[in-house]
Amino acid sequence: MGMRLSARLKDRQLALQKLKDILLFLENEMCAMGKPLNKVFEDLAKGNYGGVWTPVFHLSGGILKEQSLNAGSAWRIALKETAATLPLTLEDLDLLRDFGELLGKTDREMQQAILNMEKEKLAAMEQKAREAAETTGRLYRNLGALMGAAAVILLI
Amino acid sequence: MYKAQRTGDLSRISCNLPDRIKRVVDRISPEMASRLEELRINAGVPLMGVFSGFDRFICEDGTFTDKPETAFRVGREEVEELFYRLCEHSVYAYQEDIARGFITIKGGFRAGICGRVVYQGQAIKGMKDISSVCIRVSRELKGCAEEIFPFIMSGSHDIWNTMVISPPRCGKTTMLRDICRIISTGSEKAGFAGLRTVIVDERSEIAACYMGIAQNDCGPRTDVLDGCRKPEGIEMALRGMSPAVIVVDELGTRQDAESVRMAWNAGARIVATAHAYDTGDLRERLGFGMLIGKGGFERCIVLGIRDGKRWVKVTDAYGNLLYRNDKAPGMHDGIFRMHGHGDEAVGEAERQAACASEA
Repeated sequence: MGMRLSARLKDRQLALQKLKDILLFLENEMCAMGKPLNKVFEDLAKGNYGGVWTPVFHLSGGILKEQSLNAGSAWRIALKETAATLPLTLEDLDLLRDFGELLGKTDREMQQAILNMEKEKLAAMEQKAREAAETTGRLYRNLGALMGAAAVILLI
Repeated sequence: MYKAQRTGDLSRISCNLPDRIKRVVDRISPEMASRLEELRINAGVPLMGVFSGFDRFICEDGTFTDKPETAFRVGREEVEELFYRLCEHSVYAYQEDIARGFITIKGGFRAGICGRVVYQGQAIKGMKDISSVCIRVSRELKGCAEEIFPFIMSGSHDIWNTMVISPPRCGKTTMLRDICRIISTGSEKAGFAGLRTVIVDERSEIAACYMGIAQNDCGPRTDVLDGCRKPEGIEMALRGMSPAVIVVDELGTRQDAESVRMAWNAGARIVATAHAYDTGDLRERLGFGMLIGKGGFERCIVLGIRDGKRWVKVTDAYGNLLYRNDKAPGMHDGIFRMHGHGDEAVGEAERQAACASEA
């Protein structure tokens, strides 16, 4: 149990790190290649580069393409529908809810600035998650081992 | 007689429209929809449809009226929403187009946009506060150049350097596109083998590329340099693609004329268009006019409208008439004008000016 909780904390940190990597992909596809968002999201999902984020981008891309909603709305819907599959806390989801809000609304220069801003935000979130994985994760692991040992002693 | 095949469907535009406008456009009768040339969507003013030579306001039930007070009015938010939809909610992906004042939509349609222009130094960086969008319905008329094609062939494997001229909205680009398709595909009927062709499509009007894919049929031997300025494009095409024919739209500057000469020096043929009323009008233009005549464009295709009927003629470099047809194949000739009012007179005057030299 302790090990599982600890692994979940690690997964959370890795998920945030992955999203940070994805931002680099987005920056390249949007700012350098000039591809529209639905195509970028679609390519990201197809190329399996998205890891745990693949369903979110797949769904966002689909919504953007078919329902003609803006990126902010598409992202919010997709995040809400796939939240259960992501190893994130409610606080993380709250912070990520507005991620798509400014995407696609300005020129490349501004998009780059927006992505850089998101990168900084994610770096801070990841740092917090890493610390949590190290401290709380260790606590869970030790607690788990302790409880296991206690259970063995009781059984003996 | 060749029969031109018209393609282009309003439903391909309406899927991009905000819900309220879409409902109105979907209610337009198929006959009127097939004649619609432009849809003008301005914030705070009635929705307008432009036909060949006249325009009408569109009512909520999809009918047309001359009275703006009874027409369907478009809201400011709707124009903004339309703009974002046309950009696929990715303004950055269309920023070069936006700086040039239009967006090419999937299906080959072009949407002109107006708003507040943003400058960066001397260059236009973009546009904000979008106030109006004018969607031009692109219609391919496959076969509209079949009849004139034998007059621009100079053999089974070669063509004459050809210039298509007319005033605006008389069908130059449509004609050019079909000529390009025939050159590239070849024509069994005319005994012409297909040639390697490059289109330098500065304004994405000929091939109407969307994400790199030509939305119009330009033939199997055609390469498209999309969004590329003509002088650079012609040079790039000559260096990289070794074309037999280069197709360009709307020549008009001295640099364009120099590029055309460069292409001729490299042995490529040029098929181009230019805004002019007749060959005389074109000849008078400094730098550019010198291209017409001996050693220049050897064939001129002149398009125009007279008495509501479209006409087309082909002349040689000396102005000798080779072909004339008072009903250009496949091009609807604006019979709606017969029932029009108001702006009709202006449109008619503009187009009939093309006939000045004919009278």
